[in-house]
Amino acid sequence: MRRTTPYPTGKEVVVIPCSGIGKALGSISRDATYEVVDNLRKGVTDTTCLALIVSGDEEALRLVRDNKCITVDGCPLQCAQKNVKLAGGDLAASFRVVDALRENRKLKPKTVTFLDHDGQQLSAILARDIAKKVDELVGK
Amino acid sequence: MSEYLQTVFDKFELRVRKGYYYTEDGIWTNVEGTNVRIGVTDYAQRTGGDVAFVDLIREGTQVEMQADIGTLETAKTTVSLHSPISGTVGQTNATLVGKPELVNSDPYGNGWLAILAPSNLEDDLKALMSAEEYFQLMLKKLETEHKKLESR
Amino acid sequence: MVDLPKKKVGVISCSGEGCVEGTISRVATRMALEQLRPDQTVTICLPLFLAGGEEERAFARYYPTITVDGCEKLCAKVGTERYSGKVASSIVVTDSTGNPGCSKLPARRQLNQEALILAGKVAQKIAQEVDEVLKHWR
Repeated sequence: MRRTTPYPTGKEVVVIPCSGIGKALGSISRDATYEVVDNLRKGVTDTTCLALIVSGDEEALRLVRDNKCITVDGCPLQCAQKNVKLAGGDLAASFRVVDALRENRKLKPKTVTFLDHDGQQLSAILARDIAKKVDELVGK
Repeated sequence: MSEYLQTVFDKFELRVRKGYYYTEDGIWTNVEGTNVRIGVTDYAQRTGGDVAFVDLIREGTQVEMQADIGTLETAKTTVSLHSPISGTVGQTNATLVGKPELVNSDPYGNGWLAILAPSNLEDDLKALMSAEEYFQLMLKKLETEHKKLESR
Repeated sequence: MVDLPKKKVGVISCSGEGCVEGTISRVATRMALEQLRPDQTVTICLPLFLAGGEEERAFARYYPTITVDGCEKLCAKVGTERYSGKVASSIVVTDSTGNPGCSKLPARRQLNQEALILAGKVAQKIAQEVDEVLKHWR
């Protein structure tokens, strides 16, 4: 996909977490996104603030409209997915932390501010799944 | 006139359905003809957290009052469910297998857990709380939570 | 809705993923909620609020709110005022750093010592603002 806007990031996939502050699931969505963007698929992914998208920030909107997006929601309310769709983002895939929780029943993340051991483990598992999806989307 | 008794705690509106019967640990019971339908209360789902799994006893099983009938696994814990009445489990809510979040989003409606054919309904209902009684219990629990926060 | 409202202040944080100031904003808000003013504050989930969460918006309509933003884009403040009315107080993390705009420093995922100290200071500021708001509550 070739950018035509004057704001190239050089990235191909934008990963947007919900970052819900009230639950551990929101913290995990955020942490998994960082793991993908800053580590596992550094260089081919980017992230932006959901609030910037909703508030109509030009840079954020261009980013999600010009690139494939993956949303990472904590819970079934799926705020990131809803808002990215509403903003006209090119939504290629959606993840929910609660689904990762269902596949890893032994993990019970409890803390919100700083992830506990179970939260970190679930974040790592989810990040690997997101990274695989990134590979699919960029055609690897 | 609202179908619910309601209160607000923090930003959450907590509702108790009028006309239903309740256990102390937050199971509601509604008489529907010769059967009863059961589920968890708004307060129970709110304190339990996001439901990830609902595991219920097999249909056709006979249960006594207070017997284990399953568990709710949430993001943070596992909650045991106990039957509010004696009887036979006629039907469990199959929708909850794929959509356990209904317990959170619609606890008195589509988030119902099971339908039972009661064996001793009249006596069993006497042991349960009315909506007003459960509402008062819920307010007491909220007050206790509030005091715990105050003392921190 | 029934019941006499207990005096509480809603704290809405930006949680911006783009930079460390967003993480500081989030952590500071949680510190204020969990440790400093647990009985007087309620955290409003900004993504849920923006997506139309009724409980979040209703709370922010009837109770005073303090917004905590990472940078001068003020997403939490703008969003709250758009959907629920004027905020009682607005805190911006970059006001404390003295550097406008997102720093793009590393450690946006896990705060380093310096950033944690800053988060603590912002949390204290939130607590002070909560006290101020409650003092003037009519």
